Amino acid sequence: MTIAPFGRTAAIGDVPDDAPEAAAAVTHAPLQRVHVHVRARSAARREALERMVEAWGHVTGPDAHDADVVLTEGDGSSADESIVLASGAPQGDYTSIQRGDQASTLAADSTPAQIDAALRAVALGLVVRSAPASADDGFAALGDESLRPLLTPREIEVLAAMAAGGTNKMIARQLDISLHTVKFHVESVFRKLGVRTRAEAVAKGIERQRRETIEL
Amino acid sequence: MNESEFLAGLSASLTARVAAARSSIAAIRLSDEHHLTGILWRADVVVTSEQSLPRRDEFTVVLEDSKRVGARVAGRDPGTNIAVLRIAEHPSATPWSPATAQPGSIVLALGADGAGDATARLGVVNRVAPEWHSVAGGRIDQRVVLDIRLGRSEEGGPVIDAAGAYLGMSTFGPRRRVLVIPAATLERVVPALLQDGRIARGWLGIALQPVAVPEPLQQAAGQSSGLMVMSIADGGPAAKAGVVAGDIVVALDGTPVRRARGVAARLGADSVGRSADLQVIRAGGVVSLQVTIEARPAG
Repeated sequence: MTIAPFGRTAAIGDVPDDAPEAAAAVTHAPLQRVHVHVRARSAARREALERMVEAWGHVTGPDAHDADVVLTEGDGSSADESIVLASGAPQGDYTSIQRGDQASTLAADSTPAQIDAALRAVALGLVVRSAPASADDGFAALGDESLRPLLTPREIEVLAAMAAGGTNKMIARQLDISLHTVKFHVESVFRKLGVRTRAEAVAKGIERQRRETIEL
Repeated sequence: MNESEFLAGLSASLTARVAAARSSIAAIRLSDEHHLTGILWRADVVVTSEQSLPRRDEFTVVLEDSKRVGARVAGRDPGTNIAVLRIAEHPSATPWSPATAQPGSIVLALGADGAGDATARLGVVNRVAPEWHSVAGGRIDQRVVLDIRLGRSEEGGPVIDAAGAYLGMSTFGPRRRVLVIPAATLERVVPALLQDGRIARGWLGIALQPVAVPEPLQQAAGQSSGLMVMSIADGGPAAKAGVVAGDIVVALDGTPVRRARGVAARLGADSVGRSADLQVIRAGGVVSLQVTIEARPAG
C-alpha cells in the first residue's frame, strides 16, 4: 500500500534535515526508475535533493543529456518560488528552462510524494501543474465535499499502483489478485472518480487524496 | 423622500460608515507591491487572515495617514485562520460593537489600499449556518458567507453592517468565496493567541482519509464508510496505542465516525490528556484501542 508521508516534513525548505526520513515513509513498488538530473542554487541543496530523489529509488546523474527528467529548484527571487521539472529532451539550454510551456512546475512546498509522482509523470511525457494552494483552496470546512462516492481500501491500492505506472498485469502480480479482479477495481475507480483514462484517474486521485486526508 | 434623495442618503451613510472604520484598518506589507489587510484590534494589536500571512516573524504595517510601524507576529492559529501581530506604536483604536449576521443584511467588506486609506465592497450576507469545523481542526462559531467579491489584498479586513457594528473578519473560502470569521470566534481566539502564541488542540498523531468500508465488513462495522489510517506520527498517541497504517477508524468513544468532521469536533483543547476508545477495522474484524489524547505539537 502506498502510504502518504506524515506531516509537513516534506517542504523543500527543510530538505537537508529530514528528507531521507520523509522519503522513507513513502513506499513504492519499484516499477519505474527515473534518471534525474538535479539543478539547485547551491551544491549543498543539490546534494540534499539528490539524496531525496535517490531515496525513492530513482537514479541521479551529473549529465542533463542522460536524464529522463531535469529537476530545477526555483531561483528564490519571488514569493512563489517553485520547482521546475522538464523532460530530458537534449535540445536547447537547460539553464533557460523556467516557466515555459514545456516545463512542469510544482509549488516549493510540494510533498516528496508529489515531487515523486511528478517525476514519474514527466518521465512519461506528461506536463504537471500543481494548483497554487492558497489561490483555490481557501479556508475550507471539513466535509465540504462529503457527498462524493468513496473509494475502498483496495481501490486506493490499485490507484496507487496505477500512479506508479503499473499495467493491470503488473498490478495483479503486485497485489496478488487476478487480472479480472484488477479490471473490476480499475473500472470501479474510473466510475467513482468520473474519469475515462488512467492518467486522469491518477491526477484526480492524487488531488482528492490531498484534499481529503486530514491529520488529527 | 423622493428617490434621488434616498439614493444620495444611502450613499452618504455608506461613505460615513467607511470613514468611521478607516482608523481601524491596517495594511500588512508582504513585499513592495503586495499587502494584506488587517484589523486594528486594539491599540497595539492587528488581527489578520492566517492562511495568507507568509511565515515570517516581522512585518511593516501601514496605518491611517500612511503611518508605518513595525509589527511582530504574536501568534497564529490555522484552525480558525486567525493570526495576531503586535505593533510597536500605539495609535488610537476605535472600539468595535459586535453585530449578528442575518441572511440579506447589507454589509460592507473593508480593506486597506496599502497607502493608508480604506477600500470598500458592498453586498449582502448570503448565508448563515451554525458552528463548523475547518479542515485544520478549528471550531468557528458560525458559518457566514457573503455575496461579495474581494481583491486578494483586501482579505483580512473588517466586515461591518448597516449600523457600523462588526460581523467579523473577511477571509477566502474554497473557490475564493468570501467568508466571515465571526466576532465571537475572534474574541475567543485572539486573547489566547496573545497569551500563548497558539491554540491547544487534541492530537492523535494520525493522517486519515475517508474510505468506503468493503462490503463484507459493513455489517460487522455497522456502517458503510470510515476513516483509513494513511500514516502515523512516530511516538505519537496513536502509535503508542498500537494503531497501524491501514486500520479503518469506525467509531470514537462509541460514536460512529463516518467522515473527519466527527473526529475533529472531539479534539478540542479540553480533550488533551483524556483517554479515548478508538474502534478500528483490522484484518476483517473490529478491534478496540485505547488512545491517550495529547496536545498537538507546535508547528
